Amino acid sequence: MLRGTPTVTLNYLVKQLPTATAFINKNYEVVHVSDKWINDFDFHSRDVIGRSLTELFGNIDKDWGKALKDCLKGVASGESVHQHIGADEEVQWFEWQNIPWYDEKENIIGIILQTEDVTERINVELQAEKLETLLAAKSEITDVGSWEFDLERNQLKWCEITKKIHEVVPTYEPNLDTAINFYKEGYGRNTIAMAFDNAIQKGEAYEVSCELITAKGNEITVIATGKPIFKKGKLIGLVGTFRDITPKIKSELKSKRQERHFKSIFNSSYQFTGILDTQGTFLEINETALLFSGLKEEEVVNKKFWDAYWWPIPDYVKEGLKEIIKAASEGEVMRSEIVVLDKDKNPIPVDFSLKPVYDEHGNIFSLLAEGRMIKEMVAARRKLKESEKKFRALYELSPTSYILSDFETGEILDFNSSFEKTTGYTREHLGKLKVQDILMTVSKTQLHRIIKEIESTNTFGPEEQEYIKKDGTKFPVLVSGSLVGNKKGRKLLWSTAQDISESKYTEAQLREEKRLLKTLINNLPLNVYIKDLESRKILVNKAELDYVGLKESDVIGKNDFDFYDKKSAQISREEDLEVINSRNPMLRKETINVKKDGTTTSFLSSKIPLVGSDNKVKGLIGISLDISDLKRKEDELHDLINVTSIQNKKLVNFAHIVSHNLRSHTANFSMLLDFLVSETDAEEKNRIIKMLMEASDNLLETLENLNEVVAISTNINLDKKPVCLFEKIQNVEKNLTAYLKNYNAVIINDVEEDLEVKAVPAYAESILMNFITNAIKYRNPMRKPVVRLTAETDGDYTVLSIKDNGLGIDLEEHGSKLFGMYKTFHENPDARGIGLYITKNQIEAMNGKITVDSEVGKGTTFKIYFNDKN
Amino acid sequence: MTKIKSVCIIDDDPITVFGIKKMLSLLDLAEEIKTYVNGKEAIDDISKRVKNQQTIPQVIFLDINMPIMDGWQFLEKFLELEVEEKIRINIVTSSIDPYDKQQWERFKEITHHLLEFKNKPIRKNDILEITKAA
Repeated sequence: MLRGTPTVTLNYLVKQLPTATAFINKNYEVVHVSDKWINDFDFHSRDVIGRSLTELFGNIDKDWGKALKDCLKGVASGESVHQHIGADEEVQWFEWQNIPWYDEKENIIGIILQTEDVTERINVELQAEKLETLLAAKSEITDVGSWEFDLERNQLKWCEITKKIHEVVPTYEPNLDTAINFYKEGYGRNTIAMAFDNAIQKGEAYEVSCELITAKGNEITVIATGKPIFKKGKLIGLVGTFRDITPKIKSELKSKRQERHFKSIFNSSYQFTGILDTQGTFLEINETALLFSGLKEEEVVNKKFWDAYWWPIPDYVKEGLKEIIKAASEGEVMRSEIVVLDKDKNPIPVDFSLKPVYDEHGNIFSLLAEGRMIKEMVAARRKLKESEKKFRALYELSPTSYILSDFETGEILDFNSSFEKTTGYTREHLGKLKVQDILMTVSKTQLHRIIKEIESTNTFGPEEQEYIKKDGTKFPVLVSGSLVGNKKGRKLLWSTAQDISESKYTEAQLREEKRLLKTLINNLPLNVYIKDLESRKILVNKAELDYVGLKESDVIGKNDFDFYDKKSAQISREEDLEVINSRNPMLRKETINVKKDGTTTSFLSSKIPLVGSDNKVKGLIGISLDISDLKRKEDELHDLINVTSIQNKKLVNFAHIVSHNLRSHTANFSMLLDFLVSETDAEEKNRIIKMLMEASDNLLETLENLNEVVAISTNINLDKKPVCLFEKIQNVEKNLTAYLKNYNAVIINDVEEDLEVKAVPAYAESILMNFITNAIKYRNPMRKPVVRLTAETDGDYTVLSIKDNGLGIDLEEHGSKLFGMYKTFHENPDARGIGLYITKNQIEAMNGKITVDSEVGKGTTFKIYFNDKN
Repeated sequence: MTKIKSVCIIDDDPITVFGIKKMLSLLDLAEEIKTYVNGKEAIDDISKRVKNQQTIPQVIFLDINMPIMDGWQFLEKFLELEVEEKIRINIVTSSIDPYDKQQWERFKEITHHLLEFKNKPIRKNDILEITKAA
């Protein structure tokens, strides 16, 4: 209980007041309150007494605050209505009255608040007000009709528009039944009847869309609304609207269909399409563009056009895009070819356009951006451009002249620069020049033939013709042509003409070169030939033909096996294969070719692989130099060198012999003279002198021997004569008769009586004498010496064999020294070691040779080779 | 100076043999001098001596050009003999054939004996020089 407030009695009294009343003190705190007040404001749950207004109603607004203050000053407020939002958010309306609260002493101690819940009344008023405004506004502006139904009088009223909608005369007076009957039987009529019933019975408003048939029989769709009107809580009637929505539905249908069409076109188009606002923000984008860029709609829509993924990065692109959007939003249609990036960042050329879209008032309200992929088109266009460029280049730069002429008239319509260059005509002559002018030399029959050819095959040539230049000179050309028709059906002839004066000249030059080449290789002192891979000769020169001894036609296509013996041919073929397979030339190889007739020729041969322009070996070129003469000379030289070197060796050997022999004697002289000088004993002196004389004799003999040898060796011009061996043997035998008899020796002369050898007669005698005496000198003391002489021919030699039955000699031990000077091998006092040495020298001087065969204890056979040739 | 026990001369030239012999005796260098007229005689005798363990010459004067068996053939055979003692062999020749010099070089390489090569004529001074135990 608050201080300074009346008693509980008062409290109780107020509590029971039938009106909603609250007593508040100067602090706006509730002091007394009626149950109704608590009830109206729905404060049941709260302890109201002691609470301030602020606590109960929230902030006290300015008007109310003023009213409360005025009241505390004694000014009671009038009645006013205020809204109150209840605990359950329900809108309530209250009529307030503030009255100053006086105590017994007429002092204002607070305010008495009297309120009345007027929510229901206010609501009805508001509704009615709203409806009225609604009806009035709609009736005037649109084709919304209205109706009223007075429940009390059961009277239905239609406004004019409603009557129009129903297509009834203005004087028509509807009632509930007739009104409902306008609705289409079935769904429409049932729906409206139920809704109307509900409104009457339960007070529920309705808004339904139904079809009805007008008085004139037109089927229309209407939206009918109905709203119950209450007065003091009692339903007094219904008001409602009536709107014909047939055109709207139709247009809705239409626009729905259009939208559907538009969407499907928009999305299924192959073009990239986007709709932008005039600021360049995406409003819509089609699926093609999204698919292309791999983006989702939300990643594009509401974003700026220039920020889209597909633009190449550089800033100027962005700036350019902003520019064109600005231009488009000012009414320009922009179109250009640009490059955008697809989802894989591949640059794709696009035909891009940006168009402003206008509304019905002619204002730009959006921009339509379209892009058409022109990859193929660009590629094709580039190709076309290239090929045209190529053709142009070919046409203009070609060394071949191109001429376009009218087939019927022969008029020349076009030509390229090559034609100008070769003929001297310029483009100024076009229109005046005819094919006949440049082909003047062609005979009529020829021209006729060409025309026939063109008519039947549409082409002619290539064939050689002569063109006449502007200056009248002629030059050879290779012409061909092809007939083309133009759109107007005019027959046109494209001709090409190639100036072949150069190639004609070259041809002649080539022929001349060929002839020169042929002359050259035919006059070469070398055998030249070309063989194919099978070693068949495909070209031979004269020298080769002369060598083979056949005509060219008998050689071409033949191989070496046809000319040479098998061995030579085989070797040659192997050489060929080596050269062909290895591609390495065989150079300056000495070869020997034997022809079928046995003729042997030495060649210095080279074989060079013949490589074609395709880098494949086609065969080989053979070049052979006949070196047979050279070879022969070389062999002779070889022989000469051999002879010389043998001779030289012999001379050196002889020099050594001479030196040795002379030195040994002089050494003895020197030594003996030394002794003599210092010797005192007379007997010894005599001995030494005797020895000196011996030495002197020895020296003389040696000198004689050497003389003899020198005579043989230096006698170059030996006079060889035919010598009858048989007779010579007989002579020696005769001269040695006593000697032979002494040793009881026998000579058997088995040489043919008429056999002659070429020899120096004296040498022959000396040789025979030496061998026969040797045979007896070295006889076997155990047996009677027998010497047998036989002769036979061996090639260029006549071989005389002298066989004895003497001691024989160990050839293994002494063979090398047998014919040496002063070599003796038996303990024979007569042996001087000079005979065989001289014999050998004599034989060799006659270009002969000597061999020996011996066996110790059995005998020796010497074979003397007389050279019969030289 | 000790005398050489045994010296042998192998040469077919009697004057050379005489000369060497004379010089050796004049200088009184050898107790015994043997002479052979060719290599064969010499090798036959020396082989026999080796076999019988008799004295063999300590110094040999050897001629090259000889009948039947020359100096080089002798040397070949001699080196085959088992003579442990180092023998001095003086090759005495009038040959100036390079072949003979080569032979000498060759034999020197393959033997432990002392091989000397001397051109004729031999003087007293030479004899003194080359008649020593090897």
